[in-house]
Amino acid sequence: MDQYPDENEEFELQYQDEMEMLEDMEVQHEQDVFAEAPSTSRQAAEQRAVAGLKDVSRFGNSTLCSPQLSQISFGNSQMETEAAGGGGQVNRRLFGTPRGLMAGRGCSTPMQRMAVIKEGQTVDADVQADAAFGDAGYVLNAAAEQLQEVGLRGTSKRRLERDLFGDIDDLYHESYEDPMVKKARTEEQRDNEAIDRILELRRKLRETSNTVRHDDVSRLKALHDFKMKNLSYNIPSWPFLALQRSDLERLYVRYHSADYENRQLEQLSVRGDQLGSLLGEAKQQVWQQANELVLRRLAPATQLPIAPAAAPSVDQGRLWVDKYKPRKYMDLLSDEMTNRSLLYWLKMWDKVVFGKVFHTKQEQQTSNVGVSAAQQLNSFNKRTGKFESNGGWRQRKWRQALNTNVDELGRPMQKVALLCGPPGLGKTTLAHTIARHAGYNVREINASDDRSPEAFKLALENGTQMSSVLNEEKRPNCIVLDEIDGAPRQSIEYLVKFVSDGIYSKAKSKGAKPQHNVLRRPIICICNDIYDPALRPLRQIAFVVNFPPIDAARLAERLVQIARKEHLKTDFGSLIALAEKSGNDVRSCISSMQFFNVQKHSLTLQDVLNNNLGQKDRHQGLFDVWGAVFRIQRPKKQLQQISAEEPAQVTMTNMSVATRVRNVLDVVHSSGDYERLTQGVYENYLQQKMPDPNFNGICEALQWFCFTDTLQQQISRQQIYSVYPYLQFGFVVWHLLFATLAWPKIAFPTRGFEFSQASTNQRNIFQSLRKGVNSAAQGVGQGHVLLLDTVPLLKRILSPQLRSVAVQLLSQKEQYDLRHTIQVMVDLGITFVQVKSAEGQYVFQTEPDLDTLCAFTGFSGLTLPYFSRQLIAREVELERIRRAAPKAAAEAANETAKAKSKSKLQAPAAPPRLPNHLQTLKPKQITDSNAPKQQLTKDFFGRVTHKAAATATGEEAKTDAIVKSPIWYRYKEGFNNAVRKDVQLTELL
Amino acid sequence: MALWVDKYRPRELSKLDYHKEQADNLRNLCKQSDFPHLMFYGPSGAGKKTRIMCLLREMYGAGVERLRNETMTFTTPSNRKVEIMTVSSNYHLEVNPSDAGMYDRTVVIDLIKQVAQTQQIDINGQRDFKVIVISEGDELTKDAQHALRRTMEKYMATCRIILSVNSTSRIIPAIRSRCLGIRVAAPNVTDMTAVLQSTCKREGLVLPPELATRVVDKSERNLRRALLMLEAAKVQQYPFTAQQEIPELDWQVYLRETANQIVSEQTPAKLEKIRDRLYELLSQGVPPNLIFRGLVEQLVNNCDMSIKAKTLEFATQYEHRMQNGAKHIFHLEAFVAQFMNIYKKFLSELVMTDDF
Repeated sequence: MDQYPDENEEFELQYQDEMEMLEDMEVQHEQDVFAEAPSTSRQAAEQRAVAGLKDVSRFGNSTLCSPQLSQISFGNSQMETEAAGGGGQVNRRLFGTPRGLMAGRGCSTPMQRMAVIKEGQTVDADVQADAAFGDAGYVLNAAAEQLQEVGLRGTSKRRLERDLFGDIDDLYHESYEDPMVKKARTEEQRDNEAIDRILELRRKLRETSNTVRHDDVSRLKALHDFKMKNLSYNIPSWPFLALQRSDLERLYVRYHSADYENRQLEQLSVRGDQLGSLLGEAKQQVWQQANELVLRRLAPATQLPIAPAAAPSVDQGRLWVDKYKPRKYMDLLSDEMTNRSLLYWLKMWDKVVFGKVFHTKQEQQTSNVGVSAAQQLNSFNKRTGKFESNGGWRQRKWRQALNTNVDELGRPMQKVALLCGPPGLGKTTLAHTIARHAGYNVREINASDDRSPEAFKLALENGTQMSSVLNEEKRPNCIVLDEIDGAPRQSIEYLVKFVSDGIYSKAKSKGAKPQHNVLRRPIICICNDIYDPALRPLRQIAFVVNFPPIDAARLAERLVQIARKEHLKTDFGSLIALAEKSGNDVRSCISSMQFFNVQKHSLTLQDVLNNNLGQKDRHQGLFDVWGAVFRIQRPKKQLQQISAEEPAQVTMTNMSVATRVRNVLDVVHSSGDYERLTQGVYENYLQQKMPDPNFNGICEALQWFCFTDTLQQQISRQQIYSVYPYLQFGFVVWHLLFATLAWPKIAFPTRGFEFSQASTNQRNIFQSLRKGVNSAAQGVGQGHVLLLDTVPLLKRILSPQLRSVAVQLLSQKEQYDLRHTIQVMVDLGITFVQVKSAEGQYVFQTEPDLDTLCAFTGFSGLTLPYFSRQLIAREVELERIRRAAPKAAAEAANETAKAKSKSKLQAPAAPPRLPNHLQTLKPKQITDSNAPKQQLTKDFFGRVTHKAAATATGEEAKTDAIVKSPIWYRYKEGFNNAVRKDVQLTELL
Repeated sequence: MALWVDKYRPRELSKLDYHKEQADNLRNLCKQSDFPHLMFYGPSGAGKKTRIMCLLREMYGAGVERLRNETMTFTTPSNRKVEIMTVSSNYHLEVNPSDAGMYDRTVVIDLIKQVAQTQQIDINGQRDFKVIVISEGDELTKDAQHALRRTMEKYMATCRIILSVNSTSRIIPAIRSRCLGIRVAAPNVTDMTAVLQSTCKREGLVLPPELATRVVDKSERNLRRALLMLEAAKVQQYPFTAQQEIPELDWQVYLRETANQIVSEQTPAKLEKIRDRLYELLSQGVPPNLIFRGLVEQLVNNCDMSIKAKTLEFATQYEHRMQNGAKHIFHLEAFVAQFMNIYKKFLSELVMTDDF
């Protein structure tokens, strides 16, 4: 009871927005039910909030509250109060359980006691009384169901819809208030109103129940009398059967003859009109059912039956998955926040689609700042008992993902919602349900449709711009693109383009302007793998809704409901096991259940554990595997051990070494990427807490690392894949050595990758260094020798101490060192290159970069200051030219000599060496000589023209004077308009 | 030719500074017509390559010294491009197949065979065969060595192969038996000091004998290293003094520090730091077997007599495994952990015996 305020609070928070939405939209025919459900549920919740008052109860409305109810609901405090509300204080005194007894599994005890009664006596007073006073046959069943549900509730946090709302739908007739007005109110006002309404409702209820009960008072009195006559706390005078109540108080129940019972019943049937019908053939039925129920209670507790085996369901052919598909928003199993955020996003389209104003929170806050401040203050968290400044659920995480801003057309900024999650969680169902719920007509395009860009385009345009004519209800379309991760990339690109800026469709008639089609309908995309490369553009613009896995307990609840409807014998534990086994895949769970049902099996825990049904090959991340290696699993209840013949028994997994070994092997085997896994273990094992002062464990572990490495090498070098299976056993050893119960801290292994990067980098630099080495300089060695012996010492040799003065002012030793350095650098092909460092400064760096070669932390490389480097860089360049020059000259001489000797006659005399500038002008001279030829062009009539030649020669003559002079200049665009002069290289050196 | 190692490198067999008797033998070898395949073996810095070049010059004359650098590209069967740098003259080709790493077999098959097949064109050349010099021959994988053995026999008429290796132990016996092994031992201290002194004399420097011996010591009788060290020392401080600092190799110092850290503290956290250092050494291109050797030498020097043998035993074991593996870091760390284990046990025993 003490948790009611919490639940109430939670409920209020969860559903108030929902109710707003529901209220302000046009409720269509089929949605009437939804619309009412939450509102009644709210009422129910409010009623529950004041559960201390016992005048309102779910059974008080539809059925008469009778003592048998209280009896059946032994051990269930909630039911007890409800029943007590109807039945009055007498029952409580007689049959009421101690209040401390909580709801839960204890419910089987009273049932067994009833069975005792049954055995001891042919006619059981109590049960008969139940039958007699039960006003409807289903009461018993309903009660049993309630029991089940309450039992479930004891284990799971989530309350069932039924619990929340009860069967009071028919009672509630009040119309809603104007939603617009309502929305403007603050929470406080709303609270007050709610209280008012509760009170009013309560009054109404009292009235109605009173009217119903008007003639029941006498009946109750008779019942009371009957009980007083037949039950006693003291040893009575009449024949009796002694019973012990759960609170250890003795009770005495009177024996009756069968005749007497019948007489009594007749009397009762005569008395009440409304009871009359029940006591005829209906009574027999009820009696039978009660017997069955009692019998079933006697069955082993593990196989708690849920419903009596009834006639097989009519529609055998239908898949349960389809049959029990959620049809209403309230039926959805997925995470509440997920549903809510998606619905919120969909409602943001209302302005564009339905022309209605959808109040975003921001608008509200800006419109009445003062109120919002009050709201802030009022956000009193009843659970923690504190005022919370950051508001309620609205500020939760999903809100950040959802951009609540709207663009100029009133559309939400994120125009596409992208649902992603593993299969079987109900993404498609959610999209369909929510779209229908929000008043849309769903148009689904999935992998079975043609999704080539053209077809896709057509479907998109049709879906967004047209509405179906044939439908009676003119609902706007909402496009659901299912399994979009398999669509071609072009299609997705088109979608992105379509969504982000609309598409200009072609002009239909000539002259008309191309029509700009803006997206005016919501689009929901569904995918399994959000990180598919094709989805990247979409992911950036979409409102991404990640599907968290469904809670196993919650799924099991739903499975229980289905099992009950389908009369499948099962129990909650096995359903939970089924859910967990399938990885909380709703679809696979339901299919497995149907499978068992068709086999006429009852679904037991053994079945679930023995069968391979519903198992998915789930992809496990690397971190999961590492976690499994470094962590000892806590014992689980669901697993079991089966010996060959004996019936399987459900036990706790013993965390023996054998189990752990098997577990690790399973996990590692399923992952497969041994090399990376090994690297991950290697880089993390030293961080694990281990009581290993003597390094024995570490040595052992490292032996296995070495072994693994050797195997890998065998496999990669010689393709000996027969040793591959042995790779996984290292993980077992590491697990046994390093695993703890605590959650391990695991970092992604980057060291190995960094290492390989660094060594590749080194190798490249080293290669370029080797290439640069002069072929004559063989003494520096090759390969490792060059790297290990020469490079470190070379750094010292290339670091002469030079004062920062002009070259001419250097001392003799400095001069010598400088010259030596330059010689060495030229020999080895090393230069200084000016580069911009990360800080923006210019530095001279060796090329190839000697500083990073063989550089260890804490050791200096080249110790040359900037000035020296600059000086050396210049000198090295000069030295290079100097060395290259004579060679080039010699080569040129050789060439000419060869050419002469080869063909003296053919070759014209070598042209005299011209100054540079004249060489550049050579082409002009050539054109000059060619000019007459070119000038022999004919005009249109075939006459030879000479005009151009004359002008050309004239221009030549003009320029000649300039060209002949030793210094000349010529204007060039850009900065290169310097005066040119003939300079020999030797003059510069 | 500015570095002393190049500048004062003997070019002719007659000018070699030490192992003169061997030089005479080599000269005799050239005079005869049946020149075999050769395998020069000895530690690095002993003068193997110098002798090879002198030998070639003896055979072919000065033309051998007109060298050119070439880079050749090969495509491996797995469609990978491999670059190999060669140094060649008209008479010989020098190649370092270990550049290709595990693809050296391709180099042997493609390049060497191709060169071996071609006849010497220049009739004026003194010899009718070419020479292929394979440096770092012991880095050749077994596959490559096997590919080489047939080539050596088949193309005997057109080519000779001269291998330059550090240790013959990694050369398969088939090749060893096909070659005439010539051992080039590391020069002894007197030889080395003589070389250093003569170098300084030619440079016009004065080298105190104490410094010369110290340099020889530091260089581990590696003449190349000694000359480079001396040159670096000269740059740092010229008028040489007997006690002046001799520059050391960074990686050796780093390795020594690492070994000292292992001895100083034995905890998992320390092991992780050591791992980082080992990673750094490896990524800088220091070969893992050198790291192993440096660590073991330093650790054995620093530990008690009773655990020296054990340390060496484990070192051999892990080093051998490392040769079979690809991730050297595992094996190095395993050895370090094993040493920590031994050392800790030893320390705790020491404490216990002290108590009694």
